[in-house]
Amino acid sequence: MAITVNFPAAFYPLAGQSMIVRESVSTVGQLIQALDRLVPGISKELDDPLYNIAVNDEILLHAVDSRPVKDGDVVEVIPSMAGG
Amino acid sequence: MGIRERVAKLVGEMPRAPQFPSQGATLFVDLERRETSTAYTPLGVTRTLLGGRGANMYYLYRLLDESLSPLDPNIPMIFGSGPLTGLVPSAARGNCTSWSPESGVLLDANAGDYFPSFIRMNGFDHVVLYGKAPSWTVIIIREGVVTLEDGTPYVGMDNIDMREAIARDTGGTWARNLAMVNITRAGENGVLASGVMAGPKAIYARGGPGAKMGSLGLKAIVTLAQTHEFPTAQPYKPYNRVIAQKLLATSVVKNALSTQGTPFLYKPSRLLGAMGTKNNQETTWTEKLDAEHFDHYRPGMEGCFRCPVNCRPLNDLHKATPDKYDQGDGPEYVTLGKFGPNLGIDSVASVIRLNNICNDLGLDTASTGSALGWAFELFQRGIITTADTGGVALAWGDAATIERLLFMTAAREGFGNVLADSTRAVERGHYPPEAMKYRIAVKGLGQSDPHDARILKAFALGLAVATRGMDHLRNRATLEINARINDNPAFKTELYGGPVSAEPTSYVDKERAVRACENIYAVGDSVGMCRFTTKLFNSPSLPGMEEFRTQLANVTGLEFTADELEQCGLNVMGVERLINHRLGVRRKDDTLPDRWFDEPNPSGPYKGERIDRQEFDAMLSRFYEISRLTNEGVPTEAWRKQLAGALGA
Repeated sequence: MAITVNFPAAFYPLAGQSMIVRESVSTVGQLIQALDRLVPGISKELDDPLYNIAVNDEILLHAVDSRPVKDGDVVEVIPSMAGG
Repeated sequence: MGIRERVAKLVGEMPRAPQFPSQGATLFVDLERRETSTAYTPLGVTRTLLGGRGANMYYLYRLLDESLSPLDPNIPMIFGSGPLTGLVPSAARGNCTSWSPESGVLLDANAGDYFPSFIRMNGFDHVVLYGKAPSWTVIIIREGVVTLEDGTPYVGMDNIDMREAIARDTGGTWARNLAMVNITRAGENGVLASGVMAGPKAIYARGGPGAKMGSLGLKAIVTLAQTHEFPTAQPYKPYNRVIAQKLLATSVVKNALSTQGTPFLYKPSRLLGAMGTKNNQETTWTEKLDAEHFDHYRPGMEGCFRCPVNCRPLNDLHKATPDKYDQGDGPEYVTLGKFGPNLGIDSVASVIRLNNICNDLGLDTASTGSALGWAFELFQRGIITTADTGGVALAWGDAATIERLLFMTAAREGFGNVLADSTRAVERGHYPPEAMKYRIAVKGLGQSDPHDARILKAFALGLAVATRGMDHLRNRATLEINARINDNPAFKTELYGGPVSAEPTSYVDKERAVRACENIYAVGDSVGMCRFTTKLFNSPSLPGMEEFRTQLANVTGLEFTADELEQCGLNVMGVERLINHRLGVRRKDDTLPDRWFDEPNPSGPYKGERIDRQEFDAMLSRFYEISRLTNEGVPTEAWRKQLAGALGA
């Protein structure tokens, strides 16, 4: 099992640009818990309305924690905001 | 009744002294007769509409003669700052209001930088302009003293040269004691997509305010004054610190606005399949325009007066022998979208350079990008040909041709004369009627935010009902795209004052999110707060009604409850709709481009999504109901009477 997680610049000091989660997980919610075991406190940072999660370039707008993930997926944390 | 009679009657009803601490005067300038007068916004108006955008509506409502046309010099143009402008962190904004020559409906544009604050340092909250100056004029306001001076030396200057000349001629220093609003050649030439520049990039953009100011023969308003503190009802600085800390602690400010600015939104939009591409024929585009690819070209960030956020990215293309368009200010997400995917451009450097040219030419990138995208699609479809464009081939992604077209637009040369007529190109006989099918506009205004809203139904409703036309800054329920909020129903209910569906494609209760956003954004505009740092636009944690009411009390001594401020926001929308009704706007105009109803979204996880006409119509009815509007979208009779009383109409 290997899921790659890419982070935006704000997470670099905490987690670097990218991490690979090898723990067996089946949902985004479980993936975030696994991440938190690797980087304590990161789940709190991710619990921020600025950040959305994309799985294999599919951005998730709701029901995130129950979204299935599988071996080989690429998950990305993406800041989402509005502009002018 | 002519404009002078209207002004005389209005001024006759207005107080001659400030109605609360820190209130500035309203300056009336008859440009034709070169006469000025002053009075103060009545307290009842402030209590109903606050100041800034809200009070601007009072002046337009009272002075508008809808039997004329927008560029008639007897139609006034109004600048207004809010009661918190220049005093509270991130409250550096003001509005410019008139009858739009571009859309034909309400013109109301908002800008920051320094002018809205510095006009207050000179003792004026509002400036009402009317009459056509006998020759090009510059208004100079120096330490509160107003003079009308010869503007002819500045005619033909665009923004960069104009700013250099004014600093030289006045001896002032930008950002220290000098600020200006000015038009460029585009405004002089009546280009309908021209704005009023308020800084190197800041612009009162939407609806053609540049053309309107040009129709008055006014090249610029220049303010010169030392910054100073205002006598206020109570000390306000301690609470300013609370607001500043709140701003800087908010994730969207700390991790996005202050570091890269608004281009962050490009990536989620393209992944969502909601990135308006090639005039919304497609909905996703290259990763080469993601925000991080701008990092190399961003030497730093800038900000508006006394704003701790500094969200404006500067740019430098690092050319060995740069010209004046290889360095500048921006781009914002809107410009990135309108001059990137919308025109089929995939080069960061090209987007930056076109952004810098628009800043100099005083062109609204939203309207100009919309006019270009529309023309390019018509050319692609053979509806127009080189016979119509003066031999110019319109090929998606051809940045060099687009650059040339921008200069032609500002000068109204060749096909630029067609682009200069923006959304009105069919009405003015440049395009055949079938071209309307491909125009992405609402109420005659091209879309601002390039986000294709076939997916997000609250966003779609907001674009349909926005009083100035197709613009996200009036009511975008941005948090609709934030999964953490969608997945927390209790918190979302609290934010919007009732339940709103978590599903982005659902129509259920979306009217509630739009109503809440429209109210708080109208209040933000009417006190002078920046949209980016107003609650609900980018975060649930930014300053909102509670912070506004606290500082209103400290600065003005006027007490408002949060509910009363909500009502003020609703009132602003109500008066705007009354104005639009006088200009012929009806329910049928609260709609969306046909493409979004008729063509399914072609890409992304929501492929196939479109707007259902029946569902949309039902959502619109619910929006009217919770907004105290009739079936035609105007305030109910009882509310109209209340508003009329407050307006003195």
